[in-house]
Amino acid sequence: MRYDAVIIGAGIAGTTAAEALLAKGLRCALVAQGRSKSNPDLNALVARGLALYLGDEVLSGDIVEGRVVALHTQKLEDVALVADNYILASGKFFSRGIVADMDRVYEPIFGLDVEYDADRSNWFNADFAADQKFLSFGVKNYGQGKVAHEGVVLSNLFAAGEVLEGICSLDSAEKIAASAAEAVSNIK
Amino acid sequence: MANNLKDNEFDVIIVGGGITGAGTARDCSLRGLRVLLIERNDIADGATGRNHGLLHSGARYAVKDSESATECIKENMILRNIARNCVEDTQGLFITLPEDAETGFGLDYQKKFIDACIAAGISAKAIDPKDAIRMEPSVNPTLIGAVQVPDGSVDPFRLCSANVLDAKLHGAKVITYTEVTEFVKEDNTIKGVKVHNKKTGEDAVYYAPVTVNAAGIWGHSIAEMAGVHVGMYPAKGALLVFGHRVNNVVINRCRKSADGDILVPGDTVTVIGTTSTKVPFEECDNMSVTREEVELLLREGCALCPSLANTRILRAYAGVRPLVASDDDPTGRSISRGIVCLDHETRDGIKGFITITGGKLMTYRLMAEWATDAVCRKLAVAEQCKTAVTPLPGSEPKDQYSEVKIPQFAGANLGMKASIGRQGSMVRKIDFTNAEDRELVCECEQVTVGEIRYAVNELGVTSLRDLRRRTRVGMGTCQGAFCIGKAAAALAAALGKPEMADQLAADYLNERWKGMSAVGWGDTLREMEYLQRVYKSSNESK
Repeated sequence: MRYDAVIIGAGIAGTTAAEALLAKGLRCALVAQGRSKSNPDLNALVARGLALYLGDEVLSGDIVEGRVVALHTQKLEDVALVADNYILASGKFFSRGIVADMDRVYEPIFGLDVEYDADRSNWFNADFAADQKFLSFGVKNYGQGKVAHEGVVLSNLFAAGEVLEGICSLDSAEKIAASAAEAVSNIK
Repeated sequence: MANNLKDNEFDVIIVGGGITGAGTARDCSLRGLRVLLIERNDIADGATGRNHGLLHSGARYAVKDSESATECIKENMILRNIARNCVEDTQGLFITLPEDAETGFGLDYQKKFIDACIAAGISAKAIDPKDAIRMEPSVNPTLIGAVQVPDGSVDPFRLCSANVLDAKLHGAKVITYTEVTEFVKEDNTIKGVKVHNKKTGEDAVYYAPVTVNAAGIWGHSIAEMAGVHVGMYPAKGALLVFGHRVNNVVINRCRKSADGDILVPGDTVTVIGTTSTKVPFEECDNMSVTREEVELLLREGCALCPSLANTRILRAYAGVRPLVASDDDPTGRSISRGIVCLDHETRDGIKGFITITGGKLMTYRLMAEWATDAVCRKLAVAEQCKTAVTPLPGSEPKDQYSEVKIPQFAGANLGMKASIGRQGSMVRKIDFTNAEDRELVCECEQVTVGEIRYAVNELGVTSLRDLRRRTRVGMGTCQGAFCIGKAAAALAAALGKPEMADQLAADYLNERWKGMSAVGWGDTLREMEYLQRVYKSSNESK
């Protein structure tokens, strides 16, 4: 299955990106973990031509010479999702866009370079109400949502929303949507 | 005892509102003494509230320390009777794993273990590993041996609260959030205490012919304040709480006591522990759990129950055991875990002062009995101890409930049933008349507005932290994510101070945050992000 763009994630960032890409007249697909068919935002996008993979999860992506060439999902199994460009809007810890285990913090689909503090003692402020450093961790942003894999900036994968360093769920919807607009601006 | 005492005069002052102090206050009150119990924070705030909640059968000590084992099994049987409402008969397994044979704790040791248990009066029987798996499906299936013993679980908060409540019902005065600042000392006699209330800022003086130091590890500095030295060693024990009740039977490792070899189910959760590290006194007030401790507990926990590897950790916490050095060993190397009751008149020439320390949660009642016997000797009171046979409030036998109006089960909602589980026969004091009283506040632990009001009116609650110890509010799988706001509002209303709600919630969030931070990765970190989103976004929208 081949698209102009595939978006991973159906939160504020993912739906904002999908809307902008459809407005450019691109053939888009969106993979959403959720199972709700009654999401009015998503249904409106489907009406405008979005291919929606609902209740599915991207497990991995193939990277060849600085480009993402295919995505593999749980339900499509050995059928790959292929596109010219990809948007990663998979959220932070809660939605597992970023995963922290005892030893490291990583981005589980592509293994993108992640910005975080290796010293765990800096992650949390004892005062719940104060700023919490762990909320700033995320995929390293090389400007306009450009991301890198093992130090190499990728040419056709762009990150949007909370999966990025410096953006978290406490930020306004406007800030999250703006990061999606920036990511989309890379795609002509 | 004495009839014409002034308001600030008592027969006995007890310092420390942990289980030892609470038990001693109850025993003294039941023997007719006029008691003052002083606690610098809330009751059960120290080691009492920071342990496994294991109702030891004593099997753990049987091989090495038969005296402790015998004490444990006796107290185990007594607590099942007098604290029916605080204990759960889960039974326990001591399992032998294939790797234990390599370290000298194979099936030969199991035989020695069973013999030692039986000698100590603990019913211990080897069961087939297949039957052990049937009895507790979460147990490590590679086990090669299992012994069933009468372990159980005990809710230490409830147990402490029931002792305090019974002391109050028998006339004791209980003051919390109040520190002893100085002893009133004349020549070599302790005549009373000067105290400072941390909440109101007020100072006061109380007098009694006998003062009992039951302050756990903090008893070290209380003793210094009285001018005597008790050689104590703070031994930190770290524990982890898992997100649901993984096992229904206590699982122990059948080997020499080691770190992280006890897994105890308690109410809605499971607790693994513990470690043992000597820490400086300065750290006792602010314990934190290290990454190494967490790794060790997880590794050992998974050996008992492999599914722990994939179970969300709710939080980590640590307590400090008051270990005591033998008086005849100035090096402090010979440390006792047994009960230590010191009469400082015969030991140090300081009259009117007793220290009760060492021991463990399981033997609190016996410790209280020893301390109260010592108090009675000093006061020349002949009353005998009744605590081994007198049920605690909430734990009266069911056939004595006749006058107790427990809500009809048919119409009772889950919250009311949970209240019966927690408060036992004291549930009669909870008003479930109105729909609002039956309203659920904490969904994980099924705590109602009515139970919160009861806790405020009868159990001396001033904050959500205190309320947690009386009702388990916010202790379940969501760690308060869904209920802190509601609970703060309900508590503030019950206290008659609705304006305090935000402060109560903020205070409790910080307490939960600390316990989660120590295990802040994986699913726990997801929960932490969620907690931030729920409570910080709502603050912004105000």
